[in-house]
Amino acid sequence: MTTSSNDMPKATETDTEMGAETAMTETKKITDKELRQMFWRSCMLDSSWNFERQQNLCYSYAMVPVVRKLHEQGSEKMKRAYARGLDFMAITPQLSTLLMGINAAMEEENANNEDFDDTSIAAVKTSLMGPLAGIGDSLIAGTLRVIATGIAIGFSQQGSFLGPLLLLLVFNIPAFAIRWFGLKWGYKQGSSFVPTAAESGIMEKVTYLASVVGLMAIGGMVASYVALDLSGVMIGSGDFATPLSEYFDMIMPCLPQLFAFGLMYWAIGKKMKSTTLLMLTIVVCIAICGLAALL
Amino acid sequence: MFVQAVLVFLIAMLGYGTYALGSSLIHRPIVMCALMGVVLGDPVAGIQLGAALELIWLGSMAVGASNPPDMVAGSIFGSAYVIQAGGDAGAAVALAIPIAIFVQMLWNTIMAVIVPLVAARADVYAEECNDRGIEAMHWAGTFIPFVILSALDTFGFVVGVGAVQGIMDAVPAFVIDGLNIAMGIIPAIGFALVARMIVSKKTICFLFLGFLLVAAGGMNLVSVTVAALILAAILGLNIQTTAVATEAVDDDNEF
Repeated sequence: MTTSSNDMPKATETDTEMGAETAMTETKKITDKELRQMFWRSCMLDSSWNFERQQNLCYSYAMVPVVRKLHEQGSEKMKRAYARGLDFMAITPQLSTLLMGINAAMEEENANNEDFDDTSIAAVKTSLMGPLAGIGDSLIAGTLRVIATGIAIGFSQQGSFLGPLLLLLVFNIPAFAIRWFGLKWGYKQGSSFVPTAAESGIMEKVTYLASVVGLMAIGGMVASYVALDLSGVMIGSGDFATPLSEYFDMIMPCLPQLFAFGLMYWAIGKKMKSTTLLMLTIVVCIAICGLAALL
Repeated sequence: MFVQAVLVFLIAMLGYGTYALGSSLIHRPIVMCALMGVVLGDPVAGIQLGAALELIWLGSMAVGASNPPDMVAGSIFGSAYVIQAGGDAGAAVALAIPIAIFVQMLWNTIMAVIVPLVAARADVYAEECNDRGIEAMHWAGTFIPFVILSALDTFGFVVGVGAVQGIMDAVPAFVIDGLNIAMGIIPAIGFALVARMIVSKKTICFLFLGFLLVAAGGMNLVSVTVAALILAAILGLNIQTTAVATEAVDDDNEF
């Protein structure tokens, strides 16, 4: 079962002469069709995730249309391109298309230029994966998701269907836009993306501005969604007994919530695992209630 | 009951399917619990539990090779416990947390043992230039975990809730009180985790600004987000930020 690709177009219709640098008669080029296929296929990036090489199965799945279009069936270049697709991959799904676009543009060069050193594709993939995952995680999972969640939870707490609906809309409209335009941009820029992005400092700027929005939303959420009711704790005795919460409110509302947040922030900075912290919180709260029940 | 079990299986498939549908947050408790609420006949209770569980798992997200607790399983069991057994939200959270961790351990095992075998098969197909084979291996790597986990969740849903109810009824009241208080504080862990991810010395002030707008200014979160967007626009369009300024010496296309 060496060959199964039966719909391989034998370098036909769409090829236009574009000043081919090799002696070949026609330039191999991917079309909008392949870009669209990559877009849809990239949506499954995390679905076949595994511990060995993470997202490699879906990354190669997304690159198949490009490789099929550009390289001759059974050629050494095709073999190497498929194998490259299955290399280790770890990237934020919504930004993966940027890398796929760059990869596709380089693959095109590879198909048209006999002397192209294809190890540069793997090198670009490896060198961009880390920074893009870093930016993507803070931009998508850390900021966009948190903002969408912050807006949605308020509606959900009141039992409104707007909660789930807004979560999906506020998150996915920008997320899919990033996915589509990232692909277009990456393909257009190709391997020149790396120096351009570094020079203009645009990545730093986007990350900085996104973190401003994200942090303000998180600050607001600490005040809105962390609950620590101290009105049951009395200071003083008899007629002079005043709930502890009144003293705090005189200074500033939501101060206990901010304190709880600061404590967690500090504990995480001390490399405490979030699961440990969660269990500890539950145990401490139950213990306090147990003591209060005894007294 | 049979129809419900089938619907729960479909919800679970959709939840795990989020990773095949653009990682679009379908698996989050806000969505999962709402769907469970519809299937079990009490959408409002489902949606509200979704908000409670979402706050617990706000910091849980797949970053690098660390996988968060399985929120699909947690949401399904939590909703079933609240709606079918009339349980308390605090207790549902206490139930959902260990279940989500347990199912995640199983999922991790699948991703560490079975899917790499599938990937090894794909390597062979790549060597043969068999594109259909590579594609098939991706689909296998997708469906094997999803079907196993969805079946497990459905099985747990069918046999689990009744069994758990007896145990939960025996839990003393102070434990439930403690859980309810913990539920209020745990979201702070999630916020701290997310803040740690995106914060720097220069930007921490914005967190306090957001806090102040809500705590003292009484703004809601939609307004805070809009205010934050405006502030970002001011910073981005009118002020040369220091992050860029350091590199802007030889950069003339900035303004």
